[in-house]
Amino acid sequence: MNLGTAKWQRNVFIASFIIPTLVFFGIFTIYPVVKGLYYAFFDWSGMSEHKNFVGLDNFKDMFNDPIVWRAIGNDYFLVAGKIIGIMILATFFAVALTRFGFKLAGFFRSIFFIPNVISVVVVGVLWNFIYNPQIGFLNAFLSLFTKEKVTITWLGFPAHTIWMLLPPAIWAGIGFYMILLIAAIQSIPESYYEAANIEGAGEWHQFWKITVPLVWEQIKVSIINIMMTTLNGSFVIVWIMTEGGPDNSTQVMGSYLYQMAFRQFHFGYGAAIGFVIMVLSLITTIVLQRLMRHESVEMS
Amino acid sequence: MMNKKMAAVSIAALMAVSLVGCGGNNNAAPKEEVKEPVKEETATPTPTPTEPETAKLTGDFEIQYFVGGYGDKWWKKVIAEFQAANPDLKVKESGGPKINDQMKPRWIGGTPPDFVYIDGAGLNDRQMVEDDQLEDLTDWLKDAKNIDGDLITDILAQPAQQFDGKVYNIPLVLNSWGMFWNKALFKEKGWAEPTDFDSFLAVSEKIKADGITPFIHTGKYPYYINGSVLYPAIVSANNDDYSILQDMAANKVEAFESPAVLTALNKIVALRDKGFIDKASIQINHTDSQMLFLQNKDAFIPNGLWLPNEMSKDVPAGFEFGFIPSVTQSPGGKVVANTSTATVAIAKKAKNKDAAKAFLQFIFSKGQASQWAELSGAPSNIKGDISASNAPSHVKDAAKYLTDPNTVVIPTITYNADVDKAMMDATDALTISTITPEEWVKRVTDVVKKVSK
Amino acid sequence: MTKHIKNPVVKLIIYAILILWGISVIYPLVWTVLDSVKDNQQFFFNAPWSLPKFPLLWDNFSYVWSKYNFSTYFMNSLIITVGSTLLAVLLSAMTAYVLARYKFRGSNLLFLLYISSMMVPFVLALIPLFFLMNSMGLINTKIGLIFVYTSSLLAFGVFILVGFFKSLPKELEEAAIVDGASYYGTFFKVMLPLSQPGLITLGIVNVLNIWNEYIVGTILINDPTQYTLPVEIGVMQAEMQYRTEWGPLFAALLITIVPILIVYIIFQRQIASGITAGAVK
Repeated sequence: MNLGTAKWQRNVFIASFIIPTLVFFGIFTIYPVVKGLYYAFFDWSGMSEHKNFVGLDNFKDMFNDPIVWRAIGNDYFLVAGKIIGIMILATFFAVALTRFGFKLAGFFRSIFFIPNVISVVVVGVLWNFIYNPQIGFLNAFLSLFTKEKVTITWLGFPAHTIWMLLPPAIWAGIGFYMILLIAAIQSIPESYYEAANIEGAGEWHQFWKITVPLVWEQIKVSIINIMMTTLNGSFVIVWIMTEGGPDNSTQVMGSYLYQMAFRQFHFGYGAAIGFVIMVLSLITTIVLQRLMRHESVEMS
Repeated sequence: MMNKKMAAVSIAALMAVSLVGCGGNNNAAPKEEVKEPVKEETATPTPTPTEPETAKLTGDFEIQYFVGGYGDKWWKKVIAEFQAANPDLKVKESGGPKINDQMKPRWIGGTPPDFVYIDGAGLNDRQMVEDDQLEDLTDWLKDAKNIDGDLITDILAQPAQQFDGKVYNIPLVLNSWGMFWNKALFKEKGWAEPTDFDSFLAVSEKIKADGITPFIHTGKYPYYINGSVLYPAIVSANNDDYSILQDMAANKVEAFESPAVLTALNKIVALRDKGFIDKASIQINHTDSQMLFLQNKDAFIPNGLWLPNEMSKDVPAGFEFGFIPSVTQSPGGKVVANTSTATVAIAKKAKNKDAAKAFLQFIFSKGQASQWAELSGAPSNIKGDISASNAPSHVKDAAKYLTDPNTVVIPTITYNADVDKAMMDATDALTISTITPEEWVKRVTDVVKKVSK
Repeated sequence: MTKHIKNPVVKLIIYAILILWGISVIYPLVWTVLDSVKDNQQFFFNAPWSLPKFPLLWDNFSYVWSKYNFSTYFMNSLIITVGSTLLAVLLSAMTAYVLARYKFRGSNLLFLLYISSMMVPFVLALIPLFFLMNSMGLINTKIGLIFVYTSSLLAFGVFILVGFFKSLPKELEEAAIVDGASYYGTFFKVMLPLSQPGLITLGIVNVLNIWNEYIVGTILINDPTQYTLPVEIGVMQAEMQYRTEWGPLFAALLITIVPILIVYIIFQRQIASGITAGAVK
């Protein structure tokens, strides 16, 4: 085989599989996003035709803005909470609904995805009701055990309301990761488990020695995805439930970005926040990748 | 997952935006009124222009109007009438609940519509003036006459707000903040309707003793309590001189540090410390607070005149709305009506300014006062005698307060967006005891100083 | 095939957890359904999860369907969703495959590029996107939306599929090449089918995202006949908020949820029945 031709063929193949995607991506995603981030260096109201170049001023302001620091803290709190909560539950469900041969597994698989299907607005409205001090489910439930009616304002704590945003976030997020892991587990050949059974290995043992290593790629992907979507997307849940309040105690970077860019007419500042979100995500990804380094095991 | 969250962001964002209504608009309240169907559309005949003021209008003419609590009935009607009166003009309506977002790129790109109704989140008149997007109407307005031949400035109940001495937008809708209660409930329980702060506190004590929570507000949107309680209180404490609020809007630090502000804040503290404020307030939105109010779980609610209309589908039988613009005045003091308006303006880059000006002359006519009140359930800023019209009774009552010479009527004041947010956050914090009134002032003045740099 | 739990206590506990969770996820759906046939008074004055009173307001649905021309929006949404999903899955798979299995200069950088685009809040890009689409004459067009949506799904698709492709056995490729298959052949005939569970998962998520997508739709489409379902529902929701018509609001939400749920239920069987790699051999 002439190395020249083979290499050429290989490169053509690679290029042909990269370029079309990249073209789309470049035009319709990269370009607008870069342009959007570019506003971070301007003072722009988001409405006016004119913008002033201000260099790094927005970033300097951010550094001195206590709400930004609060938001960052809240974000990472949610990230940690969600990773732990979602991964434990999603893995549990994925394993339970594939490996144990329950008759109703298919049914459960279907319905567990429902929270992801229903609009996040419904999720927010629902949990708002649950947390409602007067007619909410949570207080009603707790009141069953107390003499006096419980009227705790779950979303009104001066400092800890952010904890209350964790359950809806986890509840709404699990479904997707569950099916991701299910798909991954389905790809593991049955023969491995059979071999392990023959050797007398127990369930737990099989889980750690077979399942986990072989779905490790998906677990890594899931964890990183949770982190990224939380830093980028927890805006939704926060906005519907508290709009960042009370008194900015539940602000996350995403909601603060929206508040600044679209409500207080500081689009440049909002873009700067977006910039920071990106940088923080990158750093966190790298850190997480390092921590989770574990060769992806190929099946042979 | 990101895109799903993004999609969700979108839905939520826009839902949230609509939930707030016109949150971003100079303390203008969310105009969440229910568009009342049939019953309000009868009677008052359509006003016909006496004669077309201008020469035949031609070309294209685009109107942007946000559709919120006031609905779109009036807009559709008045635009149709204008079109009929100007057959050579191609009128385009761009209206809807999301119109501000949809039109935003046009404003940014320098191709805005000709005429805009400034209402709803995402549009703020002060910001638009600062962004140089509105046509300067100062000189035009001096002599402008409406289609009936009256000077527009004569028939405006509230004059246009001035930005550095110039006029860019004209108030169309006039609304007032204030305190509501259920007259029927008060009669039944023998509670005295409040006339000033002392009587307000007294009756609240009684209400509390009778097992009902005296006061509820929406902590999610603190501009309700600011608009209905704080600002009137500041004016009352400032010898009924509302220029202090205008100074606050002009970012003058001394205004915020005036003793009147502290006095006003302490009134809220009084409500808080006496346990009158419903603990649930901090986390609920306006609809929730209003529903609790309608169910008589709470006696008083700070709100705007759109309230009865907005909740008309949910008002239980026998409920009677009692209203007073302010309860924070001292005994014998004047009632303070903090008004909020929604305005109309012409884009600086409008292509058809003649048509836009003609439209202004068309809608600011006496007949439109009643037509507006009927079709949208809110008071119009046009001085017109609406007592004979089919406007709802609370609107007529409010009009009485607003035209009473003993009422201090605060004209619309738009605060800087950052300062406004700081005041809202601070009031929230004050109601749940995380800060003191002095800290409220400090927080807000810090932002004021930053903004006026 | 799969193992059965021997210990009955463990089995019971696991079942209990599954059932509890099942209730917690079905409940909001039931709640949406119940509330879609209530009227306003019922909604607020009774506990929200109480049963609706008769007569059930089924005309909430027809009200929503007729007043707002749903068939048009449904079709628009269908075309755009299917189009974007297919295109995105194909393009993502192609790139992911190459990134996962072939070493070449710049592959890491490329991967990083895709990933980092997911780290930026897309709201920032909206205004530049509008001007871009405007200059290309793609405002108010279905094809414009398809392009934008496809592009927005690529990063995630690449991200997810790289993981799937990485875990497929190398021997398969080598075997295919030995059998004389070209690069393309290997991909289309061997790797793609094997990664079906991953592709379907991605497809479902993509469909879900696009079906519900709303902000970009609102900005890029202002001709109401070209609206997609969620954009129209967004407008409705906004209107109904002001009129506090909760029943119809929930009816509308239900109309959006049901098709997706059906699609998901059908396709999740595909994932479940997944192809076991080893069995092929």
